[in-house]
Amino acid sequence: MKMDKILLIDDEEDILEVLSLSLRSDGYDVITAASGEKGLEAFERESPLIVLTDLRMPGIDGLDVLKRVKNTNPDAEVIVITGHGDMDSAIDALRYGASDFVNKPVREEALQIALKRAKEKLVIREKLRAYTLDLENMCHIAIGEVKRKSDFQDKLITSSNDGIVATDENGIIVVFNPGAEAIFGVSRIEVVRKTDFANLFPPEIADVFSLMFKSGKDMGDVGWKEITICRKNKSDVPVRFSTTLLYDGEDIIGSVGFFQDLSEIKHLEQELVKSERLAAIGQTVARLAHYIKNILTGLKGGTYIVNIGLDKNDTDKLRAGWCMVEKNVGRISSLVFDLLAYSRERAPEYRSCHPNDIVEDVCELMEGMAMENQIKVVRDFGPRVREVSMDPDMVHRTLLNLVSNAIDACIFDYDNTKQHEVRVKTRLEKGNIIRFEVADNGCGMDEEVRSKIFTAFFSTKGGKGTGLGLLVIQKLVYEHGGSIDILSEVGKGSAFTVRLPYRKVP
Amino acid sequence: MSRRVLTVDDDPDITMFVKTVLEENGYTPLVARNGEAGLSMARDESPDLIILDVLMPKQSGIRMYRELKSDESLKNIPVIILSGIAKRTFLRSQEALTEFGDQPIPEPDVYMEKPVEPLELAETVKGLIG
Repeated sequence: MKMDKILLIDDEEDILEVLSLSLRSDGYDVITAASGEKGLEAFERESPLIVLTDLRMPGIDGLDVLKRVKNTNPDAEVIVITGHGDMDSAIDALRYGASDFVNKPVREEALQIALKRAKEKLVIREKLRAYTLDLENMCHIAIGEVKRKSDFQDKLITSSNDGIVATDENGIIVVFNPGAEAIFGVSRIEVVRKTDFANLFPPEIADVFSLMFKSGKDMGDVGWKEITICRKNKSDVPVRFSTTLLYDGEDIIGSVGFFQDLSEIKHLEQELVKSERLAAIGQTVARLAHYIKNILTGLKGGTYIVNIGLDKNDTDKLRAGWCMVEKNVGRISSLVFDLLAYSRERAPEYRSCHPNDIVEDVCELMEGMAMENQIKVVRDFGPRVREVSMDPDMVHRTLLNLVSNAIDACIFDYDNTKQHEVRVKTRLEKGNIIRFEVADNGCGMDEEVRSKIFTAFFSTKGGKGTGLGLLVIQKLVYEHGGSIDILSEVGKGSAFTVRLPYRKVP
Repeated sequence: MSRRVLTVDDDPDITMFVKTVLEENGYTPLVARNGEAGLSMARDESPDLIILDVLMPKQSGIRMYRELKSDESLKNIPVIILSGIAKRTFLRSQEALTEFGDQPIPEPDVYMEKPVEPLELAETVKGLIG
């Protein structure tokens, strides 16, 4: 910036000369003009930053020069030279933007002070301009950044699938995105700046907001809440919502709520439950139907063979056919029993009984079937097992099932080198418990089968099993306060241990 | 010599019933209790017809049927599937195996769902092997 260039305007040639000599000797670059007109021309041409002008001049006077200079370059410093005692003009000049005035005759010191001030002003103004420019740039950048961020946030809010509703510190709705429109069934225009949360939200949510505003505390750990929103003229929407207060430092400046529409999820959940239930029913029915078909086939087959026996007077056929009929009638009744036992709660019926006798009865019942398949039933009854009070039907049912399973395990074992046997054991244990053990050396179970044996309708016996037997046994044992444990190894056999608490006979 | 029919089923009632029907109608019955035994008996005895159950312990009828139909010496023996499961289910299980990379195999000659009438069974057998 050229602060050393001074335009000096005065119609008095001698003053012009003296002053310019003096200023030049002070190191200024001085341009002189002998009239207002010439001064303005020089100003246009040379663009000095400091103008020193006499006020009283013919033609364009000092005040005009001042006005025009200020008009052209408001930053230019104009010092006016006034006649002695012409204070009014000086004040006029100052009013029009002169930076200072010096009286005639111009004294060296006064002029130097005025020039120094003018230069300082120029420097300060220049600095200020630089600062302002900087500030404006920064502002511009910052505004751009803020705008970008706000655009981004706007888009974020607008395109969010979740409903977003924000209020100011008075609870007036200020943000209401399309997600919120969909959930609440009202448009943005209807609510933004027109209503507060209490009018928009159902009471459960409004209460949360009021409490939050009142206490100045967020929902905190509560996090997401599930509620149902009733829309005007529309179906209810299940939503999850969460809300938080917005702060500027310590001050609450508003709140925001996030709403997630759960309709689709709820709908899918219901579908899933329904389809799972249908699948379970379907599976149950299919398995039952299959099992019953087998029984029916047995009954039909039996009747057919009985008829042939009758026609031909063949007692062997008659016996074989009748045997089939009886067996399948038995299968049906045990199926019905299993189904009922499985689906119904049953309290044990305690009666006096001799557990060893019950187990002996089971062994006798199953021995025929065992012998048919070359399987030995080995009895190992504890002599200290005496008369006790427990549910004899339950014990009978349990042991019958376990022994029958053990025999099947031997039949399904194709290792013909083994002498298959089923070992039935009873023992008295501490704490009024009787241990029943049924062990076989049949086919055994692998881990997969072992993990499924208490699953409803799971059977390894092809069409022969209901897949309910062990499940029913487990239920009966638990109802009796007992426990059931299994040891099994593929190819070696299985051992089922049932422990049942008893009561002493009164 | 009378025609020989192999019946494969784990349920002794069924084999007893089928065996009687076959005998009554002049066929010679052979009996196996699972797929594995059934297959080796089929190889050893070359029966004229096989009546096969589907759900059996050890090898199932689903597998045994595939083995039969992929064995050059056995694939021409007609097969009656006699099962408690629906035909649809059986065919779907075969399709599933085919999808897993096995060769596609022909449908069984006859599919009968349990329970089966003796007369119907006898006539079906007669229809297939005379």
